[in-house]
Amino acid sequence: MPREKTLILGIGNPLMGDDGAGIEAARMLAESDLPENVTVLEAGTPGWGLAEWIRGWPSVVIVDAVCMGQKPGEWRRFNESDVRLVAGQGAISLHESDLAGGLALAQALDLLPERLTFYGIEPESTDHGMMLSPSVRATLPGLVKSILNDFAVQAEERVR
Amino acid sequence: MTNRIDVHHVTRVEGHGNIVVDIDDGKIKECRFEVIETPRFFEAMLRGRSYLEASHITSRICGICSTGHSTASLRATEKALGVELSEQTRLLRKLTFHGEILDSHILHVYMLVAPDFLGVGSVIPLATSHRDVVLRALRMKKLAGDICAVVTGRHTHPIAMTVGGFTHFPTAADLKDLRDQLLACRADVEATVELCAKLPWPKFERDTEYVSLTKPDEYAFIDGEIITSDGYRFPAENYKEVTNEYLVPHSSAKLTRHKRDSLMVGALARFNNNFDQLHPKAKKAAEKLGIKPKVTNPYLNTAAQVVEIVHCVEDAITIIDQLLTAGINPEKPTPVNLEKCGADGCNGVGVVEVPRGILIHDYWIGQDGKLTGANCIIPTNQNIGNLEADMRTLVPLIMDKPLDAMRLELEMLVRAYDPCISCSVHVMKVEEKTAR
Repeated sequence: MPREKTLILGIGNPLMGDDGAGIEAARMLAESDLPENVTVLEAGTPGWGLAEWIRGWPSVVIVDAVCMGQKPGEWRRFNESDVRLVAGQGAISLHESDLAGGLALAQALDLLPERLTFYGIEPESTDHGMMLSPSVRATLPGLVKSILNDFAVQAEERVR
Repeated sequence: MTNRIDVHHVTRVEGHGNIVVDIDDGKIKECRFEVIETPRFFEAMLRGRSYLEASHITSRICGICSTGHSTASLRATEKALGVELSEQTRLLRKLTFHGEILDSHILHVYMLVAPDFLGVGSVIPLATSHRDVVLRALRMKKLAGDICAVVTGRHTHPIAMTVGGFTHFPTAADLKDLRDQLLACRADVEATVELCAKLPWPKFERDTEYVSLTKPDEYAFIDGEIITSDGYRFPAENYKEVTNEYLVPHSSAKLTRHKRDSLMVGALARFNNNFDQLHPKAKKAAEKLGIKPKVTNPYLNTAAQVVEIVHCVEDAITIIDQLLTAGINPEKPTPVNLEKCGADGCNGVGVVEVPRGILIHDYWIGQDGKLTGANCIIPTNQNIGNLEADMRTLVPLIMDKPLDAMRLELEMLVRAYDPCISCSVHVMKVEEKTAR
């Protein structure tokens, strides 16, 4: 069980191919044996609303497709200190899944959780379609396992 | 003197649009609003899919109006298949619809329009300079989303609404909790009206044809006839007589017009056409905001949205009371009989008033229950012609202002329409004959 109450948010649009990877991860997590103090949500494209969603949670895990210049399907785990929150300067729109904008607003309002963890997975295709590409489909279970493993490690730390 | 304003990607509107104004020696050479989003082919995606999937697919047209698209979709299917709804279904749909109108209007007023008036570039600096205002907005937005989640199982993209009814029902305790929150929200609503009553709306008037739905017994959001402020009235099925979609080379969205060169849909059109049916408290708010029909200043579309915020909060409380009095019945959706469809299939038109105006879904369904055709007309399309007409009238009035001031006033005009540009892009072909 993680140290503190944790919210996992799967982000993305399942109609746009691998952009739905975060949503699929949330579904897989919801079906797995989650610790009691963990809540998992398919957040879709929450935009500015994200600030209100994460408000009050001491720990938040965000899963999303991220273009990182890696091979399709490769995923990375980041802490808050690894990323810089920059609201998009172009079309600041509620429509685009402007994750950084939502988090930047939460930061400006001092609503960020104490612990913020990101899981990013490199998409192969974010074209129209409801299927994940084979590369993402193949590696997503590993990402999900890593999240569950984080909780197990935290539980061990707590026992010690 | 040559002035050219090229605002590529107007910010704080939904999706991508460009303002292009070209003034040469005091004469307007170009003045247009370009929609440059790619078409999204939702109507083609619907072909061959089951009528039961249609509302879930079209919900994804828009992350803001997902309930609106789902409702229009369900109404189109239900009209086509002759499915009658229970009073409880009607009330639950109205309640969740209010949740979405509130969500969208609150976002528009606070996150997209307020920064212009409070002298900041976006909501991020606003969060620092006016923290209480942004927190209030988020609080109200959360309640709006909670209404949708309680009724339809999810904040966005409702899952519990289906053809003929619902697959999940809120408990009395859920509804009572929502009611308490709505009562508590009245203070925030009042503060919203106070804030907006002080905003210096730009002075600009241009009369146009205001088009909305109307119903005999209530301020129309779901179903009804189409009326215009010029005295025309049509059954929903005859929507094409009003929309008359046409193409222009500079936009990937289709434009509409009726008897005049352009028409306007949205909160201001509803306010102008259906004012008498607003909740008394909403009428009071209109008085505070200094607006009464017929309002012909498009910037005041946002003020009309504030009036609707009051209406929807009050009406949501009334609906919850009605549901609690009757008691929630976990009824099965009305059964569908596809045989009614006949060998040639059947057709139905669903109309709703989403935050930005009339939304039309027109479906053809075959006897096998699969869609054979669909037409979706989104409010933002309907408004683009009117927005451009406003721009053409406004530009000569503000031509002598510094370029930055002019740009801001034009951007504010676009934002007042609350356009949902990515939704408005719709299957079409454009062949340009001459290169620009």
